[in-house]
Amino acid sequence: MTVTSRRERLTPDQVQSVTFPPARLGRRGFDEEHVRAFCAQVEGELVTLLNEKASLWEEVERLRRRMLGHNGDVPGYRPEDAHIQAVRILSNAQQTADRYVADAQHYSRQLAEDARRRRDEVLAEAQEHAERVLEEAHQQGTRAAEVAMMGPATLTPGERRELQAELAYLRTFSDVYRNHLRAYLEALLRNVEEWERAEKSSLSAARAELSAGVAELPLRPQPRLE
Amino acid sequence: MDVQRLKESFARVAMHGDEVPLFFFSDLFLRHPETRDMFPVSMTVMRDRLVHALARIVSDVDNLDGLTSYLRGLGRDHRKFGTIAEHYPLVGTSLLATLAHFNGPDWTPGLAADWRSAYDLVAQIMITAAREDEGVRPPFWEATVIAHELRRYDISVFRIAVNEPLAYRPGQSVSIESEERPRLWRLYSMANAPRDDLTMDFHVRMIDGGALSMVLTRGLAVGSRLKVGPPLGSLVYDAGPAQARRDVLLVGGSTGLAPLKAIVEQMSDLPDPPQVHLFFGARTADGLYDLADLEKMAAGFDWLTAVPVVSHEPGFAGEHGQLPAVVARSGTWREHDAYVSGPSSLVEATVAQLTAVGVPPGQIHVEDFGWSEP
Repeated sequence: MTVTSRRERLTPDQVQSVTFPPARLGRRGFDEEHVRAFCAQVEGELVTLLNEKASLWEEVERLRRRMLGHNGDVPGYRPEDAHIQAVRILSNAQQTADRYVADAQHYSRQLAEDARRRRDEVLAEAQEHAERVLEEAHQQGTRAAEVAMMGPATLTPGERRELQAELAYLRTFSDVYRNHLRAYLEALLRNVEEWERAEKSSLSAARAELSAGVAELPLRPQPRLE
Repeated sequence: MDVQRLKESFARVAMHGDEVPLFFFSDLFLRHPETRDMFPVSMTVMRDRLVHALARIVSDVDNLDGLTSYLRGLGRDHRKFGTIAEHYPLVGTSLLATLAHFNGPDWTPGLAADWRSAYDLVAQIMITAAREDEGVRPPFWEATVIAHELRRYDISVFRIAVNEPLAYRPGQSVSIESEERPRLWRLYSMANAPRDDLTMDFHVRMIDGGALSMVLTRGLAVGSRLKVGPPLGSLVYDAGPAQARRDVLLVGGSTGLAPLKAIVEQMSDLPDPPQVHLFFGARTADGLYDLADLEKMAAGFDWLTAVPVVSHEPGFAGEHGQLPAVVARSGTWREHDAYVSGPSSLVEATVAQLTAVGVPPGQIHVEDFGWSEP
């Protein structure tokens, strides 16, 4: 079905000609989400119609009173009507505020979800990398041990040199890798701290703005992980 | 009072959906602007709660016994919002104006009189319960954070001290409000049995986009001030006489561990504790934020077995799999009392699994806050 925006009115024609995409593989019937969305739209339309009916009724009552020339200085206009008008205006303002808060919450939820997903990806990648490196080191160690098992007696000077070179390489490799890992972890920690600072300041900024009556939330800088 | 007519008129009004509570609150705030400050900025949740409460009251209006305990709870709970007896007539006026507006031509003097007397009855029950409660405890407790630990980037464990005694049963919860998020109360379980020094522990996990959980995980420091509402909840362990005691199965997902830990502490004070199996589950091993403490407890109590379970980390050394399935395959639980706590989807799945392996429903305990949360 084509999803129309909430503000757009639903017509009998649309209800008549609505189509739904089939459900995902392995499930029968129409796509549930689309059907639900359509039902919500129909419900919204019904509520709108009911409310329009109610305000039309009020308008009819007002005109009827006016015709009959009931009460007061301004013919057909009662203080209650003014109150109802005020209620409508305030209700609209409240709905606008609710929408802003809902949008801000939605945005913050998305940010948090993205950040969580990225964190999981980064950690998984780091773990995989570490495992690969360990595996490599392990294989090299095994190879070196196998050679050593043959016994020092059977080693030619050439083999011994090769073995020592291998050992030196492994030592260097281990040092370099340790340094890499340390630098990487430190960078991660720095990012977390930066994130925390940004969050603290945005929390207090948001509070200040909220108390100043501003409904907009400041954008939090995206944490950078690299 | 014509109960049928009352129900019919409410059904007519309810057809107008969100417009009804919207009208009600706007009417109330216009007549009494000072009441606006008692509510949060966004009113979406408040409107839902109002409609639910009204629907519940109207549907039970001819079952006064059930309704009374609900209304008494509601009246007591409203104390923490600063509601006093003088507020009730203001709400009554706006409620009647709302009903009149949406009933349109069907709003007759007789119907108005019925609604008026129904509201007066409801208000009287709530006011009386609140007044009786006043003699027993404060509307809320002032609390100070005395320790705060971020166990993972999104899970915190913190300890507060309250300003006067707060009696509760292990496994119960309180609603918490932070000065960072005024008028936003959320329920959290105490993670310890009551102590003499007025301190309580909480485990909080940040919910994506969750306004209060973000503050309680990453926005707290020693010295932060919180407000705490009265304790409630029915996830409590009734020890009873030792000979009638069943062994106990505790299943906690993520921070759902908190109330179970309180119950374990309670059991450790029994002269003859039951055999307890505690399953603690998370997606990955770093989500087992309290494992070190649990293992210490399990090492100290020979009647306690703690089993960590992880569902999404293949290399994990302990039990691996979905928590409900791991629990179901790890023993025979038909003779156990089971307590399940955690995210609602997990609780539902666990209850279904336990029922499937023959645990009688009467022996499965889950949290049910009834009236306090939507």
